Amino acid sequence: MSVRTIAVDYLARVEGEGSLRVRVHDGRVDDVELQIFEPPRFFEAFLRGRRYSEAPDITARICGICPVAYQMSSVHAMEQVLGLRVGGQLRALRRLLYCGEWIESHALHVYLLHTPDFLGYPDAVQLAKDDPDTVRRGLALKKAGNALMALLGGREIHPINVRVGGFYRVPSREELDQIRPTLESALDIAEETVHFAAGLPFPEADEDYEFVALQHPEEYAMNEGEIVSNRGLRIPVARYDEEFERAPVGYTHALQSVRKGGTPYLLGAMARYSLNHGQLTPRAKAVAHEVGLEPLVRNPFRSIVVRAVEMVFACEEALRIIAQYDPPSDPWIAPPDPIPAGVGAAATEAPRGLLFHRYRLAPGGQIESAEIIAPTAQNQKRIEEDVRHVVERSLALDDAALTGMCERTIRNHDPCISCATHFLRLDVERT
Amino acid sequence: MHEEALLKDIRQKLIEESTRASPAQIARVRLWIGALSHLSEDQLRLQWPTVVDGTPAQSAELDVTTSRDTTNPRAQGLVLMSIDVTEPGRSPARTGPRL
Repeated sequence: MSVRTIAVDYLARVEGEGSLRVRVHDGRVDDVELQIFEPPRFFEAFLRGRRYSEAPDITARICGICPVAYQMSSVHAMEQVLGLRVGGQLRALRRLLYCGEWIESHALHVYLLHTPDFLGYPDAVQLAKDDPDTVRRGLALKKAGNALMALLGGREIHPINVRVGGFYRVPSREELDQIRPTLESALDIAEETVHFAAGLPFPEADEDYEFVALQHPEEYAMNEGEIVSNRGLRIPVARYDEEFERAPVGYTHALQSVRKGGTPYLLGAMARYSLNHGQLTPRAKAVAHEVGLEPLVRNPFRSIVVRAVEMVFACEEALRIIAQYDPPSDPWIAPPDPIPAGVGAAATEAPRGLLFHRYRLAPGGQIESAEIIAPTAQNQKRIEEDVRHVVERSLALDDAALTGMCERTIRNHDPCISCATHFLRLDVERT
Repeated sequence: MHEEALLKDIRQKLIEESTRASPAQIARVRLWIGALSHLSEDQLRLQWPTVVDGTPAQSAELDVTTSRDTTNPRAQGLVLMSIDVTEPGRSPARTGPRL
C-alpha cells in the first residue's frame, strides 16, 4: 500500500442548484423528484429582532432579479400592522417600479434563457453569434426595465429607495418624462417580441393546472388583490394558511407548497394571464389576440408568449402612470408613534408569481417572526408534475435528449434556478 | 450561499480522480479558499462529512488553506489543489499546483 499525491488544481464551479431524479419501471414513470440543493438562507431568522423598517432592504437581498417583489410584499405587510394606507401617486409609483421589474425579469427569461431552448442553442451567447438582433432586442428591453428600477429604486439591482410608507425620494415630473422615449421604444420591441415568441416551434403539451394569482377589481393585479384560482378559490391574503400548506420533503431543501389536501398549483405569468387577461392594457390585449393566444393557456411551452404579452402590458402601464404623474408633496406617510404590535400579511405578484410575506411585530416595531413563501417553492410540486408528463411522453429518448427536454420543461416556469442554463443533473433509473 | 453546490462539484471531481487512480481510496484532500470567495473554512468543514459520505473520500483528512491575497486571479474561487490516494504497488510521488 502506498500513498500518492495527485495534483488536481481544479476550480470548483457552481453548475447549478438543482437536479432531477426520475424512476421508470416497466415503461411507467414511478417517481419524479426535483431537488433544489441550494441550502437554506435563513432570511426569516435574520429578520427576527430587526426593526420593521429594515425589512424591505433585508428582503430585497433575497433575489437579484426580483428584489422589488420582496420589498413590495414586506412593505405592504408592515403597513398593515402600522395601519398605513398608501394610495394615490405613491401607490402608482410602486406599481411603476414593479413594471420595471416585470420588464427586466421577463426580458431576461424570454430572450436569454428561454429562446435558446426553442432555437436549439445551448445559451444566449451562442445564439448571439448567429442572431445578434434577437439578443439585442432582449437586452434593450432589459435595459428599459433596469432604467425604471434605477430611477425609482436608486439602482437597478437591490434598490434602496423603498421604505415602509412610501419612498425616501420621489422622482420629479421631468425625470419621469425623460424615460418616456425609452419605454415607448420598449413597448414596440415588446410587441415585436410577442410576434417573435408566437412563431417559435412549441412541443405539444396540455396541462390541467390550478392557476393561482392575485386578482384586483380595477387593475391587472400586481401589489394588491384577493387570492383566486380557476377552481373557485377566492380568499383575502390573510387567509393564505387556510388554503395552502408547505412542508419539508426529504429530497429537497425547498419547502414544498400544496393546496390543503395535497394538490399542486401553479403561479406566475400563465396564472395571471389566464385569471386576469380581461384587465390587460389595450395593446397587450390586442397583440395577444393577433397572435391567437387563447385566454386560457395550458401549454407551458407557450408561457414565453404570455411573458412577452406581460412585457407589453408593463410598458404600456408604465407609460400610463408616467402620463398621469403628479409628484406627491411627501415621499412617504410617516408611521404612527409608538409603533403598535401586531401581525401583517401581504402578497404581491413577483414576476414568477405570488410572493407571500407575514410578520409579527412587538410593541415598538421589532420583528418577532417572519415568514416568506417564494413563488418557485410554491411551483416546485407542479413543475414535478409537468416533468412527469413530459418523461412519460418521451421515454424513447436517450438520457441526454431526455435531460434537455426536462430542462426545458422546468425552465418553462422561470424558476429561480433557471439562470444556470445547464443546471440539471438528471438521474434516470430504468428498471 | 453556494458552498454546498461548490462542494458537490468537488465531490464529483474527487470521484473522477479516485476512479482514474486505479480506483483508490482518498486519504487526504487539500482545498484552497480564495480571499474573495465568500466561503469560510468553518462552512466547508461543517458540510464536508455529508458531501463526501459514500465516496472514496469519506475517511479523508481535509486540509484547508485560506488565502488573503485579493489580487490572486482565483481569489473568488474554491480550488481542489491535490489529493493523496492510497493504492497498492505505487511509489510515493508529490506534486502541487501553483496558485
